[in-house]
Amino acid sequence: MQEMSTQTWNALRCDTAERLNAAAEILGDGKIVAAKDVTRLLEAVIHPGDKVNLEGNNQKQADFLAERLCRVNPKKVHGLHMVQSSIALDSHIKLFEKGIAEKIDFSYAGPQAGKLADAIQSGKVRLGDIHTYLELFGRYFIDLIPRVALVAAYQADRDGNLYTGSNTEDTPVIVEATKFKQGIVIAQVNEIVERVPRVDIPADWVDFVVPSPKPFYLEPLFTRDPALITESQILRAMMALKGIYAEYGVQTVNHGIGFDTAAIELLLPTYGEELGLKGKICSAFALNPHPTLIPAIESGWVKNIHCFGGELGMEQYVRERSDVFFIGPDGSPRSNRTYAQIAGHYAVDMFIGGTLQIDEDGNSSTATARRIAGFGGAPNMGCDPKGRRHASPAWLQCGEENGQREALVGRMPRGKRLVVQLQETFREKMAPGFVERLDAWNLMENAGLSIPPVMIYGDDLTHIVTEEGIAYLHRCRSIEERRAAIRAVAGFTPVGLKANPSETRLLRDRGIVKTPRDLGIDPARASRGLLAAQNVRDLVRWSGGLYQPPGKFKNW
Amino acid sequence: MRYSELQRKSFLEATARERAIGLTDEGSFTELAGPRDRMMSPHLPILGEAVSFDDGVVTGVGLVGEHPVFVISQEGKFIGGAVGEVHGAKMAGIFRLALTAYDHAAQEHPHDLERYRPAVVVSFETGGVRLHEANAGLLAHAEIMDLIQDTKGKVPVISLIGSKVGCFGGMGFVAAATDVILMSPQGRLGLTGPEVIEQEIGKEEFDASDKSLISRTTGGKHKYIMCDCNELVEDRIGAFRDALCGLLNRPYSSLCRCRRIGSYELVREQMALVRLAAQLNPSDSKDIWRYYGNAEPDLIPEMEVKEFLKTAHRRPREVE
Repeated sequence: MQEMSTQTWNALRCDTAERLNAAAEILGDGKIVAAKDVTRLLEAVIHPGDKVNLEGNNQKQADFLAERLCRVNPKKVHGLHMVQSSIALDSHIKLFEKGIAEKIDFSYAGPQAGKLADAIQSGKVRLGDIHTYLELFGRYFIDLIPRVALVAAYQADRDGNLYTGSNTEDTPVIVEATKFKQGIVIAQVNEIVERVPRVDIPADWVDFVVPSPKPFYLEPLFTRDPALITESQILRAMMALKGIYAEYGVQTVNHGIGFDTAAIELLLPTYGEELGLKGKICSAFALNPHPTLIPAIESGWVKNIHCFGGELGMEQYVRERSDVFFIGPDGSPRSNRTYAQIAGHYAVDMFIGGTLQIDEDGNSSTATARRIAGFGGAPNMGCDPKGRRHASPAWLQCGEENGQREALVGRMPRGKRLVVQLQETFREKMAPGFVERLDAWNLMENAGLSIPPVMIYGDDLTHIVTEEGIAYLHRCRSIEERRAAIRAVAGFTPVGLKANPSETRLLRDRGIVKTPRDLGIDPARASRGLLAAQNVRDLVRWSGGLYQPPGKFKNW
Repeated sequence: MRYSELQRKSFLEATARERAIGLTDEGSFTELAGPRDRMMSPHLPILGEAVSFDDGVVTGVGLVGEHPVFVISQEGKFIGGAVGEVHGAKMAGIFRLALTAYDHAAQEHPHDLERYRPAVVVSFETGGVRLHEANAGLLAHAEIMDLIQDTKGKVPVISLIGSKVGCFGGMGFVAAATDVILMSPQGRLGLTGPEVIEQEIGKEEFDASDKSLISRTTGGKHKYIMCDCNELVEDRIGAFRDALCGLLNRPYSSLCRCRRIGSYELVREQMALVRLAAQLNPSDSKDIWRYYGNAEPDLIPEMEVKEFLKTAHRRPREVE
């Protein structure tokens, strides 16, 4: 009994109070901290070895706080374990070069993928794990709980209520995991206002607010200029529409980022209309506000879209289309990434997107030997969600066709998510899209990973679309058959050259492989004239001037 | 593609061959030294690079009314339309043919030369010299510059700029030396390309990822206001063709007056512009548009061609 009474149950709370006191001694009371005092604040509240979350994903970045964290004295603050969605900025790597941080658990590393691989090899960065977004968010509540979180918002009021607006993204999940485990939350904001339009994060979950000298960096990651779409992409888009969307009546979809899916979006009001598919496919999306979806929305194809984040230039358009997008009572979207990822994982019937390499077994990866790009959210969409229990016609049909279902669950009906990869047999610089061994294996060796980073595993992949044809992989009864089907659509790549014409003939007879001709598509029709918008200016016209593209994409 | 469809097609999206066929009268274009002749670069295979059977340029002759029109049409999809040895030789050959045709026309129709006068039309899509064969490419530029001088007083040379790559590098000089320049708003004309400026002087000087900035600095509307291009047309092959037909209906002397360089007076006019630039020290093209009387320069990029032509104020020419 004696022992129990000396046991403390609020050590974390006491430690936090001490840190906040230390900050108050330097900066005085009050939540609003001037930009010039931020480095001293960070030195006061962050202790060596802390798990620190630096907000940033593939769109918004707490860039000012990241840059200030690089300026702390490494003698005072070191050995940090960074837990963060993305490694996107120079400062993210600099933390390690300066000896402030030593370990990282993350999800996505876009532009810094090469530098990250170098830093790991030179021993500056100790790599934890590479996650999907949801997986990492989950670990924020189990074994990667942040002690301090540095987040970004558009606005704050004097009490510290945050408005994260159309780029709410990861902020709620980070703040909740941190604050409810007694951690410290610091937010950089573009401006302090009298009254925020909407409270996205309540003030009592926020310890400090820093007005940032510059608005946070936002990358227009999902904008694709229709002028750059090729005829090969248009052909694959036509094949996907006729051979997959129409064939299964796919109503709920997530599109991967890239020109292949942009082509599909721009064919809906033209080729899709011609096939009579309006209302029969693509009525709901878990998707960022892709500008290339504007013509389909304006032509009445799309009922609703739930977004992972915002997109630069689309703010006004999204606001004015509240029947389609999710808009708060204040008039702006919220785009909570966690909910969008859950929707993308459980509630859509199909994921369709591009990749860098597919191997002979149908595993695909965007990893190259010297770049650790990570996953982002794609694997949560590009898989068959095993926890799904609701049925839909597309899901049931795909499950019904599953050649291995009986071997796995006997005669029990079970559906299957359509997971589709669009692949050009030869990509940029003539790099083959089909390979005998994924570069992911080399990356595993170079970076000391425990497994090769695979974006989509072969057993989840149901369809591959190349300019040669569609392989309906899930219809295969064995791995040998799947390999033959992959070879059949792999063109003149080393994998495709192994195809046996008589074997391919057999697969075509059984509807496992379909060429453009089998699908009744004349490749000569695949021309840019078929796109509902041929350039960014056309998208602006479709939007009635509501879409305001950033200078990077505005070529007039 | 049917000729009528070709006329409606975007000039920006068109291939070099489509442009050549669509600019001349229906059915009149004959390609010379075309892909079947397989005149390819001797240098590229040594470097392990792919070749093109036409070396990235379509050359030939067609008609516009009674005028034999000698066409050079560059293809940006092959090494950015860059000029190598064969590419340059084909261009030079077209100029020589046009000069020969002029001699014939002068002999056959001495009293009706306006009607039968040949013309050279260059549809530019190029960044200038092809670096893989830079010496040959540079020589070709010099040769073409010389030939343009030979055309003076004989054959009008008309530049059309509205393709994806634009017209940059040494070919920017060549275009400037021709008699008339037609552009679409999508056309880009300059000497040093945006990426090279950024690389050499820095992103603060010129952000090559800012497409809007590139358009304001090198695009058709800016060049039209500055009188660096003579006419601005919509982005359709038919619109370029209509403007070309209009030009060829005018007396040759009026086309010669379209030139921007080539006389002492014109050089003086250009030098005055240099002084003005130093004096104004503009931070953006919009400053200059405003200087020439365009009260709301922000609206100019948004305007469709018709509206723009109706409202735009141009730099007043000093030499008429």
